[in-house]
Amino acid sequence: MTIEMDTSGEEVEGGWRDQDGFVTYIQPGKGPRSSPRGEYSTGPDVGSPMPNVHCLDSFGQPFNLHDVSAGKPAIFIFLRSAVW
Amino acid sequence: MQLQSKIQDFVAAGINVFSLSYDEQDALADFRDAYDITYGLLSDPESKVIRQFGILNTLIGEDDHPWFGIPFPGTYVVNSEGLISHKFFENNLQLRVGPEMLLRVAQGDAIEHSKTDSEAPAETAWHVYLDGDRLAASVLNDLVARIEVPGGRHLYADPAPAGNLPVALTLDDDPQIVTRDVMKPESESLTIGGTGEVIQVYEGAVELRLPITVNADLGVAETEAREITLAGELQWQSCDDQVCDLPRRERFKLTIPLASIVVSELRASADGVLVRSMNSVKHFKRLSDRRQVLDVKESIKGVGDK
Repeated sequence: MTIEMDTSGEEVEGGWRDQDGFVTYIQPGKGPRSSPRGEYSTGPDVGSPMPNVHCLDSFGQPFNLHDVSAGKPAIFIFLRSAVW
Repeated sequence: MQLQSKIQDFVAAGINVFSLSYDEQDALADFRDAYDITYGLLSDPESKVIRQFGILNTLIGEDDHPWFGIPFPGTYVVNSEGLISHKFFENNLQLRVGPEMLLRVAQGDAIEHSKTDSEAPAETAWHVYLDGDRLAASVLNDLVARIEVPGGRHLYADPAPAGNLPVALTLDDDPQIVTRDVMKPESESLTIGGTGEVIQVYEGAVELRLPITVNADLGVAETEAREITLAGELQWQSCDDQVCDLPRRERFKLTIPLASIVVSELRASADGVLVRSMNSVKHFKRLSDRRQVLDVKESIKGVGDK
């Protein structure tokens, strides 16, 4: 799938305003404002099994989604960053 | 921070909450301690999980530090059988779904199940409210409109027959307010006696949900308690098998507190100056540097190969 960049927006005092009115100092289409236009990949489909996730948690401990969440509902968020 | 403020509701409902990002583990530890985060923070510094899910933001070049490696942000709601029941992704990466919306969906109270078993009212009743106690910049909450009609009556869905008014919820134009498409339950088919015409209706009650947020300037610290007015119109037309009432258009106006999320990220330092609670500058520099170090290693390796 070819994903198109959404660069729409206008330069205003203090930065750039995107189509929803958000103003930041980063221009739409650059860095963290690399927003897709139209269709793009959003991962596994609704109705399909949630893939397992192996990584480290914030305590440095190994994390295994299927082990810790078996039999329970879960919210799994993919965040851009907790730092910025 | 919006999520953490509601985390007890998820805990009470037996719902696990996890958040994964490309941040280093020690950055997440600082974030956790600075904001007293109790849900699971997961570190994916090489974006392996993000790639595994197929949601790496490929619009960002590999040499675009420190941004390369972030996902298209989104949320999966997983049921107790381990199946994905809903997912939320927004084209505008500024937006994210608020905790109230996630909790409602995770509890199985999706829009298609918005009807209640409560007794039909004697007269038509309507109500507009925010599903949440405040609005925060970038965080979507539902503005909910509910209409209930007496037994034996129905409301027109969209499209309504010519000359009739479908149920609709609209907000007045306000450049500070961001909206997405109104969510409506599935309508039902009703065959009109005599003509045999089939129309789309809601029987008894209908609930519309309009995801909204505000687009406060994200770079400016707001230090005052603020609120915003949501004004708009709810329209509908109620009928029984024989006749229709006149169309109704009702104005509403709600005053909603605005969460000052920027302020919540600040704390007073020893000399009384407001500073960010976590040492973001250090971690941001590391996000930027770590890939440049990798690039240098690769280029040195490349030179040696020649």
